[in-house]
Amino acid sequence: MSRIKAFESAYKNQWCPGCGNFGILTAMKEALVSQGIRPEGVLIISGIGQAAKAPHFLNCNLFHGLHGRALPLATGAKMANHDLKILVNTGDGDCYGEGGNHFMHAIRRNADLTVLVHDNKVYGLTKGQASPTSDLGMVTPIQQHGVISEPFNGLSVALALGAGFVARGFSGNLPHLSRLIETGMKHKGFSLIDILQPCVSFNSVNTYDWYQKRVYDLFEENYTPDNFENAMVLARQWGDKIPIGILYRKEAPTFTDRIEKLTQGPLILQKYDARKLQAVLDQG
Amino acid sequence: MGIDITVKIGGEAGQGIQTVGDLLTLVCQAAGLYTMATNEFESRIRGGNSFFQIRISDQPVAAPFHNVHLLMALNQETYDLYRKEVVPDGLVVMGEVKKTVEANICEAPLGDLAKKAGGRIFTNTVAAGACLSLLGAPFDLFKTILSNRFGPKGLGIIDKNVHAGELGYQAVKDVPFKWAFGWQPGSSKGALMTGSKAIALGALAADCRLAAFYPMSPATGVITELALFVDDFPLVVEQAEDEIAAVNMIIGASFAGVRAMTATSGGGFCLMTEGLGLAAITETPIVIVNAQRPGPATGLPTRTGQGDLQFVIHASQDAFPRFIFAPGTPEEAFDVTVRAFHLAEKFQVPAIILSDKYLADSIFTVGEKLSAPKLVKRFIVTDDDIKTPERYQRFAVTPTGVSPRALPCAGKSLVVVSSDEHRQDGHVSEEIKDRLDMVHKRDAKLPRMIQEMNPPEKYHGEAETLLVSWGSTKGAVQEAVDALREEGLDVGSLNFVYLWPFPCKSADAILKKAKRFLVVEQNSTAQLGQLIKEQLGRCFSTAILKYDGRPFFPSEIIERFKHDARS
Repeated sequence: MSRIKAFESAYKNQWCPGCGNFGILTAMKEALVSQGIRPEGVLIISGIGQAAKAPHFLNCNLFHGLHGRALPLATGAKMANHDLKILVNTGDGDCYGEGGNHFMHAIRRNADLTVLVHDNKVYGLTKGQASPTSDLGMVTPIQQHGVISEPFNGLSVALALGAGFVARGFSGNLPHLSRLIETGMKHKGFSLIDILQPCVSFNSVNTYDWYQKRVYDLFEENYTPDNFENAMVLARQWGDKIPIGILYRKEAPTFTDRIEKLTQGPLILQKYDARKLQAVLDQG
Repeated sequence: MGIDITVKIGGEAGQGIQTVGDLLTLVCQAAGLYTMATNEFESRIRGGNSFFQIRISDQPVAAPFHNVHLLMALNQETYDLYRKEVVPDGLVVMGEVKKTVEANICEAPLGDLAKKAGGRIFTNTVAAGACLSLLGAPFDLFKTILSNRFGPKGLGIIDKNVHAGELGYQAVKDVPFKWAFGWQPGSSKGALMTGSKAIALGALAADCRLAAFYPMSPATGVITELALFVDDFPLVVEQAEDEIAAVNMIIGASFAGVRAMTATSGGGFCLMTEGLGLAAITETPIVIVNAQRPGPATGLPTRTGQGDLQFVIHASQDAFPRFIFAPGTPEEAFDVTVRAFHLAEKFQVPAIILSDKYLADSIFTVGEKLSAPKLVKRFIVTDDDIKTPERYQRFAVTPTGVSPRALPCAGKSLVVVSSDEHRQDGHVSEEIKDRLDMVHKRDAKLPRMIQEMNPPEKYHGEAETLLVSWGSTKGAVQEAVDALREEGLDVGSLNFVYLWPFPCKSADAILKKAKRFLVVEQNSTAQLGQLIKEQLGRCFSTAILKYDGRPFFPSEIIERFKHDARS
């Protein structure tokens, strides 16, 4: 049996009190427990940033990699052993900024990964610069006259690239978020969950209050996430009303399903055949 | 003196020069001759000027020759560019005659003959037929090679090619060529192999299971060769979106438990540098092939050089142990690759193999039998090997610096790994003690790593003057040594394949006995020479350097050695 307690990490948490990351951490644990997954049965891969520290605060196998590079790491691990259950924890700067190219190509590959983008619209670890998702006009110590570039919309980019599971969560709604994570993990293929997350230290615009007034739940609206055009409209909906839930869902063969070699089983379990190899070497 | 003839076939990219070269090489192999073939081309798909140059001998040859005995010019430009390389008794075959030329020119309307054989596409087979005819090769042998080569395409294609070959063969049958020789029936002296293929076979023999890469000349050949085996071996080849992704993919795969590699050239290696550091701090074994080309930036994409030695030794911020090898021949490339995977895993460090365009793309005769290890020793632990898996620590401090390496999700032991400096359990730490423990732990691997380094290879190593080189210049240097010794000079050579950690003890033992040593390198700053100075406090007397992007000819080394001796 799997218990929340099993996932409690003895490692001391380093996030600011009130940080939106706490909600994501709890939702992750709940989603793992409700699937009966134990700490030794999951691998969490992350990049760099406050979001990427999450796996340290959870008892599990983890690879805390480089800024922006969580997705290729995870793809490599998946090719080596596609039986691994992999969750990726990343942030708006990590995934959409530094790791933008990897984000696009990971979607194209459709590797069976669940990607949680802790989207707080600001750089926390480096103390408050704008991120790719910061709203226009947001003033920071660097963007003194406000952000002048259009915000990056991870959801619509993912949709445009053919992602098969595109969702938005909110760290202030735990049952909703853990349901999203669980559904995302059960989805075969690349699943993106962009999670709206207030940053209590550096983002005074997109606060808990700001979000609470705007978010509405697509589950409650009985929205069926099977229409690309509808999903695109929802992905771009921002301002007074912000949808949370699964925007789009479509099953397709995953990356490792499509590698013929891996239909014989995980690469790591296949056998080294010295005789066959020697025959090749003898041919020259 | 036996047979030592060089044939150069030149033309535009897209004219099938490579095919002419391949056919000649195969015929020579079947006749029991040794060959050494280089090719030079521009960074473009069509046009420009490319050539394929084959040295044919009854003795092993390991370097290109500076003169040409038979020049097959498929276009006028080839003639204009390379006429001066042809020896006085040599011959030029003009495949496309535009103006009247000198005496030792043989005009062969290759294009017209090809049309007669069925179309311009047969020009290469016609040209190969003409070359072999001039060299005195028996036509039957050529016919056998054509049948083997075009066999998979069906009888019709074979017949057309045999016909084309015969037209070329007959067209120059009566042309006298001084360098023609008697072809004796013989058996193959070995496989024809590029350095890239040897590295690929080495990776396969080392049980490498994932190769992730981004295309870049001259490294792509390694992966192209590997990709031929994906159906028959436990191997996946993935083309990444960039070199950053490639290196991170192989780190992820290695972390998850399979041996993994990537191949790139200098510019791609720049992008991989961050990942190199990640492999180092997370102690994840990986193998990176850097096939060098002259740089910086885009540099000379299709030319050769040895300018990255100091770069790969120092690449990444801060310092950490790593292995660096530079094989000089395909045999060495195979062995070193197998060993690189083994050592990377044994010490949980990155290993870098330095190739270069010359080694990567040239075709050598490999006389040695390549053998696959019966068993690939993995250095991985499971719960059964660990006393208390619940308290497993991936970076446990040990006297050797190497911690037991478990795999994620393989048992009760949780594997925690971070690119941040960390504690023994893998969690991030900025504590002074943890930082020092980890630095000391990583550095503690060095004494044992050095013990794994083979000494540099001596060739007449007792001589009073040594020519010191590394990697692929070995062949040209050893031939230069032979020639200089024939003239009575007391010269030997020393070639480094195992470069880092630098084999100080064995290198010093040899160099201290020499009266003086020169370095021979394909870069402009004598990078190995600088390394020897730094590591051993010994200074080279002269540096013979070449950095124009073309491989060394033994004659250049001989000439510059003598020039230096005179001055």
